[in-house]
Amino acid sequence: MSPKVIHCIAKGVWLEAIRRKEIYVIVSIGCLMILAFTRIRFFGLDGLSKFHRETALNLMSMCTALTVVILASRQLPLEFTRRTIYPLLARPVPRGGFVLGKWIGVVSAGLFCLLLFLCIYLIACLVLGAPVHLTLLLQHTWLQLCMVMVMTSICFWLSMLCDFDASVTFGILFYFTSTVFSNFLQEVHEASGPVGQTAARLLNIVIPHLSLFNLSPKVVHGDFWPPLEVGVMIQLSLYAFGFALIFLSAAWLQFRRRAL
Amino acid sequence: MSPHDRSFHPGSPLADLHRVQYDERMSDVPPVIDVQNLHASYGSGKQKKDALKGITFTVQAGECVGFIGGNGAGKSTTMKHLLGFRFPDQGTVSLFGEPAGSVESRKRLGYLPEVSLYYPFMKARELLEFYGGLSGLEKPVLKERIPVLLEKVGLSDQGEILLKHFSKGMQQRLGIAQSMIAEPDLLIYDELASGLDPLGRHDLRNLLLDLKEQGKTVFFSSHELGEVERLCDRVILIHQGLLVRDASLQSLLEECGDRSLETFFIETISETTPP
Repeated sequence: MSPKVIHCIAKGVWLEAIRRKEIYVIVSIGCLMILAFTRIRFFGLDGLSKFHRETALNLMSMCTALTVVILASRQLPLEFTRRTIYPLLARPVPRGGFVLGKWIGVVSAGLFCLLLFLCIYLIACLVLGAPVHLTLLLQHTWLQLCMVMVMTSICFWLSMLCDFDASVTFGILFYFTSTVFSNFLQEVHEASGPVGQTAARLLNIVIPHLSLFNLSPKVVHGDFWPPLEVGVMIQLSLYAFGFALIFLSAAWLQFRRRAL
Repeated sequence: MSPHDRSFHPGSPLADLHRVQYDERMSDVPPVIDVQNLHASYGSGKQKKDALKGITFTVQAGECVGFIGGNGAGKSTTMKHLLGFRFPDQGTVSLFGEPAGSVESRKRLGYLPEVSLYYPFMKARELLEFYGGLSGLEKPVLKERIPVLLEKVGLSDQGEILLKHFSKGMQQRLGIAQSMIAEPDLLIYDELASGLDPLGRHDLRNLLLDLKEQGKTVFFSSHELGEVERLCDRVILIHQGLLVRDASLQSLLEECGDRSLETFFIETISETTPP
């Protein structure tokens, strides 16, 4: 699997992300909302200011996830419907290399969104004179990138099972319900008997918990929260890599023997 | 060295020995395309429909072969098997001695799909850079080759235009350029002249004749029997998933006599009743 081939395919994804208008719309709306939320002073009320900064960080996550879900869900189905897959796979490109190149392209586009939002957040905080806990903020950004990797893989897998629209819908639903579902599992575990507890534990292992990658409350309340320990960061990163690999492999297995 | 090398006197023992050695070497070279007993189907269960019912043919290096047949005969399905887009139910397909679909088999291949649609967000030059990059070509080579190719297909002024503004014919021309970007030894064209105007067809014909002169192997399907007659050395006719004829153009034309190739084609497929 040549790195040059993977780079070429990823470059195609970046070109698409740059030239298609909807990505600009999401990023622009995201930037405006982050700016609006971080600039509100609320008459010096520190609590409200923190709440809005946390909301801004959550918006960063949401807009990045939305960009990634749309971009990732589109990659494989559109190659089929546009029939651009034929001249592409007529080249010496292995199917695994094709999927990996697309994945790297989408993840790097997600990283670009994250960094852009991060810059805007930092500028707004500096202008306001709000405290910035840089280590926690960088840890949050890294974990958000981990979330991007997992979401990209999930959307790739979904897009191999259904069409673009369905994949986007499921991807967005999963992103927004993931935290609720994690809490629900916890409640089920506490309230039910041994069978229910086993089922809840199993589901807890099988389903990725995106809430683990969101440190926004800690970033805002950095006065009370120390940065995460290196060991915890490594564990969380491995957790994300594991799920990203599982879903990406599932997508590749589906695609490997698919008749085109 | 060819057996007809002038350094040997024809009929001399040395020339005979050399010819034997040459023939042995050539017999070791696998055919460029080798299709053996290819069976393929679509759907499953009661919906299953046989698309190919055991076709066998080979194409040798330097041949220009026309693959003809009516709608639904199995031409595009065969092409998809050659490229590894589909997997045979039974039988084998190989290119340059490598299994179809393997990365090795696609290294010396150029392909033009039946419907040429390319990334609407790319410019023509970028598309050729993209496909060239996928074929492992370096930037300096691409910089040199792309303007020449765009000139050849009549798109020299359109290199910086987004493909969403391209007409079907222009996309087809660009498709031909992308198929030649890596200077492949084998060109597979599905529905060769699809979407091209008469001028485009004329240009394409000249391009293919150039490729033939360069010794490239060309395998194409077409409904245009005139194109087939002008370009091919050999014709393979399939009908309802069965190979009906595989003959040199010369022998087919002799067999046609006063009839046109089109009339001959219609008569042949109407005589064929698949089991």
